[in-house]
Amino acid sequence: MLKIVTQYLIFPGIIFSFFVGAMGFWLERKFTARFQYRVGPPWYQNFIDVMKLFLKETIIPRNAAKTLFITSPIINLAAVILVSVMLANNYFLNISFMGDVIVILYLLVIPSLFTILGALSSKNPLALVGAARETKLMLAYEFVFITSLIIAIIKSGNSIMLANITATQILSKPNIASASGIIAFILALFYAQAKLCIVPFDMAEAEQEIMAGTVIEYSGPLLGFYKISKLMLYFSLPLFIISLFIKVHTQSTLLKYLIFFCLYILIIFIMSVIKNINPRMRIKDALGFFWFWLLPLGILGIVLAQFGL
Amino acid sequence: MDFRNMFIFDPLSKLIGVFIVLFTVLISIYSAKFIKHRKITYYIWVLLTALASFGVIFSDNLILITIFWGFLGLSLFKLINLYDDEKASAIAKKTFIIIGATDGFLLFGFLLYHFLTSSMSLSANKLIINNNLSFISFIFIAMACFAKAGCMPLHTWIPETAKNAPLPVVAYLPASLDKLLGIYLLVRIVKDSFFLDVTAKFTLIIIGAITVICAVMMALIQHDIKKLLGYHAISQVGYMVLGIGCATPLGIAAGLFHMINHAIYKCCLFLDAGNVENETGTSELHNLGGLARYMPITFITFMVAAFSISGVPPFNGFVSKWMIYQGLSDFMNSLSSYPLKIIVALSLLSALVGSGLTLASFLKVISSVFLGNARKHAKESSFALLLPVIILALLCIIFGVFAYSTILKFITQAIGSFNMVGLWQPVGATALIAISIVIGLIVFKFSSQKLRVSDTYTGGEELNPKEEAKIEDFYATISEIPFLKKIYSLAEAKVFDIYEELKRIIFVLSNVLKRLHNGILPTYLTWCLIGIMGLFFVFFR
Repeated sequence: MLKIVTQYLIFPGIIFSFFVGAMGFWLERKFTARFQYRVGPPWYQNFIDVMKLFLKETIIPRNAAKTLFITSPIINLAAVILVSVMLANNYFLNISFMGDVIVILYLLVIPSLFTILGALSSKNPLALVGAARETKLMLAYEFVFITSLIIAIIKSGNSIMLANITATQILSKPNIASASGIIAFILALFYAQAKLCIVPFDMAEAEQEIMAGTVIEYSGPLLGFYKISKLMLYFSLPLFIISLFIKVHTQSTLLKYLIFFCLYILIIFIMSVIKNINPRMRIKDALGFFWFWLLPLGILGIVLAQFGL
Repeated sequence: MDFRNMFIFDPLSKLIGVFIVLFTVLISIYSAKFIKHRKITYYIWVLLTALASFGVIFSDNLILITIFWGFLGLSLFKLINLYDDEKASAIAKKTFIIIGATDGFLLFGFLLYHFLTSSMSLSANKLIINNNLSFISFIFIAMACFAKAGCMPLHTWIPETAKNAPLPVVAYLPASLDKLLGIYLLVRIVKDSFFLDVTAKFTLIIIGAITVICAVMMALIQHDIKKLLGYHAISQVGYMVLGIGCATPLGIAAGLFHMINHAIYKCCLFLDAGNVENETGTSELHNLGGLARYMPITFITFMVAAFSISGVPPFNGFVSKWMIYQGLSDFMNSLSSYPLKIIVALSLLSALVGSGLTLASFLKVISSVFLGNARKHAKESSFALLLPVIILALLCIIFGVFAYSTILKFITQAIGSFNMVGLWQPVGATALIAISIVIGLIVFKFSSQKLRVSDTYTGGEELNPKEEAKIEDFYATISEIPFLKKIYSLAEAKVFDIYEELKRIIFVLSNVLKRLHNGILPTYLTWCLIGIMGLFFVFFR
């Protein structure tokens, strides 16, 4: 019992994933700052940002559907915590925890879903625009990620257990060392980019035009919950990609963590490069990009994966 | 003649029987308030429908099944046409023609089945599909199931029925009972009557995959809540057919479970839509909004059912969809040919994508009916209208969180034992989420001592209520994408509707015949003369 609680709360659960996610976000900010010849924030910036939010007052819009408005960020965070714990337990301790990849895929929809519902319940016109964009974008990126997930499933001998997917990679070679694996990895990267609302896919939160869109009416602790769940997603999405495609087997524990952190920083770096060399897309262009370029690419990947390539 | 062999009381039919009773009781409670005129006619037909449904599920004799099945078509016609208004009677006619034609298919399929096995019982011996005749027999019986359940290509009666028929009728027949019966017969023949070969399995899987995607794409652009739900009722059948098409115990169990779940949440959604329509007098998304405040129970039950149908864990729709995915990946593992493997992988893709599209279209409904600015004032419905939806919403949660210890036990009895190939612990996961939410609420309570209610923030611009963005136009962008735009406009013109296509062909043919009937006596006499000359030529040459 105590073991489960420790696994859930401290390592590799909530506190660990929050910490790593916050550091990941900081790295992303730092990279961006360096791209723009700025110094960038200190490493503890994200922690004090979140802390400050919990000390501020909460403002609730007068016309909002109050219950949904308040519970949305909390449900959002609860789902993200569960996903992070599931993924981290599998990667670091080799424990199958609560569910398989399809469960994770569906649980990962909940944060976006309640972001949208929270935005809609606030009855702010700008939030409405953000929610509409987020819904459409969700349709785009989730489908692309599904193809990438199916490729990983086929590669592991049609098993949907995350443990089997990682075990097959350890036994033979990482999934990324094949044509379909590379395709799936690229698609998953775009998924993470859009899910985390990073430029060029940040139309839902576009600060310059709709002022943070979906979260415009949120403040204080409620916004804090959003921030925490986003920081944890910064940890769990790269972790999901790593365990699906680049699981490398090592004997020593130290090397295992070292490899993880190298890969993690690499993924954050790639995302930050994409962010800094692209402008924000229009929603229609993003849909077209995901549906008519990446989705056929994913289907090609599925075909290749079936032939064992 | 031994009557005992004509009936069958195995766990499968008993399971379906329980749900027929459940839905009949709930709909009867609901209709007591909802149906205001012609109550007696209505209840007589509802009870007769229930009786005929029992006939279908408990009989094992080919002729008995056909008779009860045919009677269900008639009762559907009478119930849709309850009030004799123009639209409803047109759609009732269409329904009757589609269902009646497929009743003919059923009869033909049974005839072939009897010819091949020389038995009058569906479950006596299993027919191996190894030649064209047995395949045709299977497909024709399956067509009848498709028309009853509303699978493509025989689905076209459902959306319009959903829009024009009295609402309890829609919730009772197309949404729940017809699904139960259609899929029951499909499960029965796949389980007891036929050994499916690769062609039959893949016919089912491809039909299922296409149904899932096409129907949900149509649902995405609908503006009428009832019609939208009707399209979802078609799309979900695709999942069941996908599961059953695998023909493994896991796949069939998944299909059966999904069918039960679908009946529960779709019935709940339709009844909620009925509550909304009853209170506001409209079912157009454009005219609704902000009802969450006025109708909280309807809102919550609708949300639970909508999350179930979109497969959000931990509700019941997720568990059955997850089982269908497992069935597909398991089935893919048993195949060796590459093209077949690719087809299964693409079907898996379409099933997963379909579930995303379902969620998107329900987000549209939830937001435009219950959130947003109130356009109509309403009050919560009365208790008799709320009780059925509350029970159904509770069932959604129970069958989701406690799936293994409740409903799956009965399904195992009905289908035979099967192994899950994935992992999902709904009780544990739900408990963790619930604990997180409670802790979150406590943290919120303690940290936000300073709570302030304020006006909507718009960045200094004037808020003009007339210029608010319309939520129901969420997906306008999607229908404007060039390729999809073309398909949508074809679908709006009913090009994909088999019934309408046949109607066009028949009109062309009858136009030719109409020329002959010009009402002038000499013409008819000429035809008679030509006919007699022909006969003379044949018989006396």
